[in-house]
Amino acid sequence: MTRYAAGVLEFADAHGWKIIAVLAVVGALPPLFGLEGGFYMTVATLTLMFGVLALSWDLIGGQTGYPSFGQMGFFGLGAYTTAILVKDQAVAFPVAFLVAGVLATLAAGVVGLIVLRLRGGYFAIATLGILLVAQQVSRNLEVTGGSSGKILLDVPPATTFYYVLLGLLVAEVAVVYYLTGTRFGYVLNAIRDDEGKATSMGVNTTYYKTAAWMLAALFTGLAGGSWSLFNTFVDPNTAYNLSWNVEMIAMALLGGTGTVAGPVLGAFGLHLTIVFIQSVSLDVTLPLLGPTTINFAGWQLVLLGLVVIVTVVSYPQGFVGELRERASAMEYYRHAGGAAGQETSHDETASPDGGERT
Amino acid sequence: MAVAQFVVNGLLVGALFASIAVGFALIWGVVEIINLAHGEMVMLGGYVSYWTVRSVAGEGAVSPVVALASVPVALVVLFVVGYGLQRFVVSRVTGTDLFLTLLVTFGLSIVIQQLALQAWSADPRTVAVQFTPQSFDVGGVFVPKTKLLAFVGAIVLTVLLWAFLRYTRRGRAIRSVAQNPDAAALLGIDVEHTRALTFGLSSAIAGGTGAFIGMILFVQPQMGLIYTLKSFVIVVFGGIGSVPGALLGGLLLGSVEELTAGLVSSQWTLAVSFGLLIVLLVVRPKGLFGRGVEGEP
Repeated sequence: MTRYAAGVLEFADAHGWKIIAVLAVVGALPPLFGLEGGFYMTVATLTLMFGVLALSWDLIGGQTGYPSFGQMGFFGLGAYTTAILVKDQAVAFPVAFLVAGVLATLAAGVVGLIVLRLRGGYFAIATLGILLVAQQVSRNLEVTGGSSGKILLDVPPATTFYYVLLGLLVAEVAVVYYLTGTRFGYVLNAIRDDEGKATSMGVNTTYYKTAAWMLAALFTGLAGGSWSLFNTFVDPNTAYNLSWNVEMIAMALLGGTGTVAGPVLGAFGLHLTIVFIQSVSLDVTLPLLGPTTINFAGWQLVLLGLVVIVTVVSYPQGFVGELRERASAMEYYRHAGGAAGQETSHDETASPDGGERT
Repeated sequence: MAVAQFVVNGLLVGALFASIAVGFALIWGVVEIINLAHGEMVMLGGYVSYWTVRSVAGEGAVSPVVALASVPVALVVLFVVGYGLQRFVVSRVTGTDLFLTLLVTFGLSIVIQQLALQAWSADPRTVAVQFTPQSFDVGGVFVPKTKLLAFVGAIVLTVLLWAFLRYTRRGRAIRSVAQNPDAAALLGIDVEHTRALTFGLSSAIAGGTGAFIGMILFVQPQMGLIYTLKSFVIVVFGGIGSVPGALLGGLLLGSVEELTAGLVSSQWTLAVSFGLLIVLLVVRPKGLFGRGVEGEP
């Protein structure tokens, strides 16, 4: 395992753009080969959506160090925007979709003025509170259909949303991957590591963190905007889904916060696991009870909580972070105790545009 | 007159919010953790009380004595739960990144909530307390006896905790760990044990209050989050480590919520109390009483 970690990372660092392009093409194939609807289509589409959500969360939570517990607020805003526009105002989906993104970004700008002044626990709980307030507001308003929500029947086919979400994910991966190599990305990481120092170096941290926060909200809002029509139903409990709120954090954490591949891998892995657990039922013969059917549906949140706890306690760096750690340990070993990268006795490890960006 | 009634209702229920928030503030101050599973301790306490009463007296309304007798049970069980949680789970991340502690307690809250949901279903349950007549009439304002009982109980729990922290040796140990864990350790205080003790005490007072909540409102597996958030609002208002501040904050929050429910609509209570929180965080981040956490705004 350890031996391959370094190789995998080296390859990923050197061929980042090519990997993104190849995966985008591979991702576009399934609908062309007959997958046009049904259970597997839903699973695939939602998996892509969770990739978007986890990466959005990581942009503000992992890269910038502002752990938002309220990202689903922007998701719900986007979901309601397209639902209301398409159903009640007869706006075409593409227009409504863009409006959802714009509204979510603007909302993030306004909310950010207040909450981005807070740090750590204060920030986390303030964002959680805003999410709950948004949920309550949507429950009380007329235009959102109150607590019974909205049923959307006249919607584009499922493959549309598959491609929309695939496009969103690819775009977001590309944007985040590009940003991690720019000054913008470095400033975000500097804010995470020590905001006070970054400020004293003359960086306008408010500008950078607000931009990251709005960018994360843009992608979250767009994801929500496509989800509501895909789901053909939207109500306060599903649009501002509190368990998805946790899921996206767990996904980013599991894959590795502050990385590009980590949150996406975490999203794919965890969502598929959850789907598997929800759908599986075991027929077993227990010693005392006799033949029993064990059904795991309803237990996925218990699993989710346990995943969060175990990951935080044992692997706080997540999968990619762990991989990186092992790779650099291997490097250390190869250089007979010298710091990794000090001597270049083997092939050039650094990627052409420099640095660890996986 | 209606306004007076709302305020009285608010004060009665606000004392319960306060005693929950005192426990929340205690962990925050001593263990330096924002315990997002605090509301789940309230929920568990409510269920312990409910099942105790059920197994002793069966279904139906019970006498106040039986209901009160279930409170110590909730206190003891939740003390053990809280002590264990800190000792075996939360202690692994204390002193690391604040974000990690938030996540661990958040994970705990989900696991506890979902296990409760699987075990006891989502039905809300109540411990019905038998009083005849149901309430006092003080000059046109009704004071339900059950709520008065819960009010007094919550105040007693809060005062007991305050006295414990102030006047006992263990209480001084807890306060010393809050001030400086390293110096406390040098003086021979078992810091890990003291932190677990703090977590236990905090959970116990939350659980005891949960038992009272089961008498005046209801218990339900997903009720916890709201109480965690209310505690946060109150602690931000009152300042960390200030029992009088928390008490005042709780009474005020209760009144504001009841007034909103009475004069506007009960659907907007959360939005109003959270709107207040946001205003407070921006205007007076260290609370109206006491100190903020160092390094925090």
